[in-house]
Amino acid sequence: MSLLSRFLTWSRQHSTLALLMIPLVLAGLAINAFGSSLLLNIYTYFCVSLIMVLSLQMFMGNSGILNWVHIGFVGVGAYASAILSTAPMVKSMGVPNMFPALVALNMPVIPAIMIGGLIAAVLAAIIGYPLMRLSDFVGVITLFATLIVFHVIMTQWDNVTNGPRTFFGVPEFTTLTVALIGALIAIMVAYWFRESGLGLRLRASRDDRYAAMSVGIDVVRVRYYGFITSALIAGMAGGVWAHFITSFSPKAFYMSEMFILLAMLVIGGSGSISGAFMGTTFVTIAREALRQVEGTVNNAHVLPFDVFGLTEAVMAVLMITILIWRPGGVVGGQEITWPLFKRKSPIKEVEDGV
Amino acid sequence: MTPMLTVENLSASYGVVRALNDISLEVNEGEMVALLGVNGAGKSTTLKSITGVLRPVKGSIKFLGQEIANGKPEATVKRGLSLVPEGREIFGTLTVEENLRLGAFVSYQRDRYKADLKEMFELFPILEERFTQPGGLLSGGEQQMLAIARALMAHPKLLMLDEPSLGLSPAMTDQIFELIKGLRDRGSTILLVEQNAERALGIVDRAYLLASGEVQYSGTAEEIRRQVDIASVYFGGDDAAPCEVTQ
Repeated sequence: MSLLSRFLTWSRQHSTLALLMIPLVLAGLAINAFGSSLLLNIYTYFCVSLIMVLSLQMFMGNSGILNWVHIGFVGVGAYASAILSTAPMVKSMGVPNMFPALVALNMPVIPAIMIGGLIAAVLAAIIGYPLMRLSDFVGVITLFATLIVFHVIMTQWDNVTNGPRTFFGVPEFTTLTVALIGALIAIMVAYWFRESGLGLRLRASRDDRYAAMSVGIDVVRVRYYGFITSALIAGMAGGVWAHFITSFSPKAFYMSEMFILLAMLVIGGSGSISGAFMGTTFVTIAREALRQVEGTVNNAHVLPFDVFGLTEAVMAVLMITILIWRPGGVVGGQEITWPLFKRKSPIKEVEDGV
Repeated sequence: MTPMLTVENLSASYGVVRALNDISLEVNEGEMVALLGVNGAGKSTTLKSITGVLRPVKGSIKFLGQEIANGKPEATVKRGLSLVPEGREIFGTLTVEENLRLGAFVSYQRDRYKADLKEMFELFPILEERFTQPGGLLSGGEQQMLAIARALMAHPKLLMLDEPSLGLSPAMTDQIFELIKGLRDRGSTILLVEQNAERALGIVDRAYLLASGEVQYSGTAEEIRRQVDIASVYFGGDDAAPCEVTQ
C-alpha cells in the first residue's frame, strides 16, 4: 500500500484538524499583516483563550465532570512562569516580601512556561488523587471548593504571589505568532488526546460508568490521568497568558474568568474539539462587541446609570438558551468533518492503517 | 471435567435486604446455561456478584479455579468474563467503531482487531453499515447487537448476557435468540439471564430457576420443562415464590 493512499485515508479521517487549523492560520496571517493593533491584541487573546478552553475540554469535555478548578491551574502556571522568568531586580522591587530563593531565579521564557505546566500537573496529581475517587456531584462541589482554596492561597501568600496586589514586570514574549503556534499545538494535542485510548476510555466513562466498567475500564484511573494532562496544558496556557498580559493579580484566576471559559466551552459544545473552537470564537466576538456597546453607551450618557457587567449577563442568558435548546452545544458531540471526504468501508480503513 | 464457573453457597444483600440465599451453580466449558426467574428473584444480583459490582456476604465464586469474589469490576473482563449489561448499555455518543474498539482494548492488537471486526460484521452485518454513526442512533435491537459484539471483541472465555430480550419487539427477540444460539454453536460458553423462560429454555443446555434469592429448580432444559409449570412461575403459582395473601 502506497504512502499516498495511507495519507489520503489519514486526512479523510482527520479532516477536522485541517478545518480548524487552516482558517486559524489564515486569519492570523491576515491580521498580522493588515490588522490594527487592537485587532492584533484581540486575536492574540483569542488564541490564548483557545489554549485554555481546549485544555478544559480535554478533561471536562471528555469526562463530563464540571472542572471548576481549571482556572486555578492556569493561575499556577502563570505565577510559576512569571516568577521563573522575571528579572531578579524587577521582582525585588515589585514583590518586596518574596522568598529570596525565588527572587534569584531567572530563566528564559520557554522553559519557564514548560515548568509552569509541570508544576500545575504535579499539583493536579496531588489533589486529583482523592478527588477523582468521589462520585460525580460531590466531586464537582469539591472541585469548586478547591478553586476557592486556590484563590485564597494566591491572595494570601505574598511571599510568592505578591498577595492581592498586582504582580508586574513579567517579560513580554507572547506575540500573535507565539499565541498562534501555541493554539495550533493545543488543537493537535486536544484532538490527539480525544482520539487516544485514554480519551476514548474517558468518553466511555462519561456515557455510562457501569458499561465502562463492564468493558474493563478503571474509571477512577482514566479520570485521574485525564485531570493531570488537562492541568499540564492549562498551566502552560497560564504561562503563555502571563507573558502576554505582563502584569496580573489573583482575581484573574477566579470565578468570572472561569465562567467565561465555561461559556466558551459549553456554548460551542464540550464534547468535541470543534465545539471548543467554535465556542471560543463565538464568545470572543460577542464579548468584544458587547464591550464596544458597553463603552459607547456609557460614554454617550444616554442612560441615567452606567451599564456594567453587560458581557456577563448576556453570556449567562446565551448559555442558558443554548443549554435548553441544544444541550450538546452549537456543534454537539461529534467533530465537524469535511462532507466531501466520505469515509471508506471500515475494513478498508483499518487495513490502510489507522 | 472441572466447571469453568462455580458459584458456591453465595449469599448477597443490599443493606439489610437479603437478595441471595445460599445459591450454588456451575457453568461448564462449551455450555449454555440459563438463569431464570421473575423480577427480584436474584438473577441480576448473582451477575453483580460475579462481576464484582456487589460484594457477596458469603460464599465463593471460582472462575477457572481462581477465586474472584470481591474482585474489582474492571478486572473481571481481563479474566475472560464479559458481561453484556442489562438495558443495552452501549456508549451512546461514541461511534459504533469506538464502541467495538473499547471492547477490544483488553488485549489490543491491530491485526487481531482487524480480523475480529471482520468476524463481527459477518455476525452482525448491520454494524458495518452503521460503523461511523453514534451508538445512540441505533435502534434497540441494533444496540443489543452492538453490546453483544462489544463483549465478544474481548474474546471472553465466558459470555454473560443480562436480559438480552428486554424491551425488544417479538421479531427482534427472535433474531437475538437466534444469534445467541449461533454463538453457542460456534463454541462460546454462555451464561444467559432471562425472564423470558419459555424462550430461553428453547436454546439452552441447562437452567437454574431462581425464586426469592434461592435456586428452586435446576437441571437440563427438558427436566425443567417437565418439572415446572413455567406459566405458573410467572403467575405466582405454588412452584414459584411462596407468597401468602391474607384477607
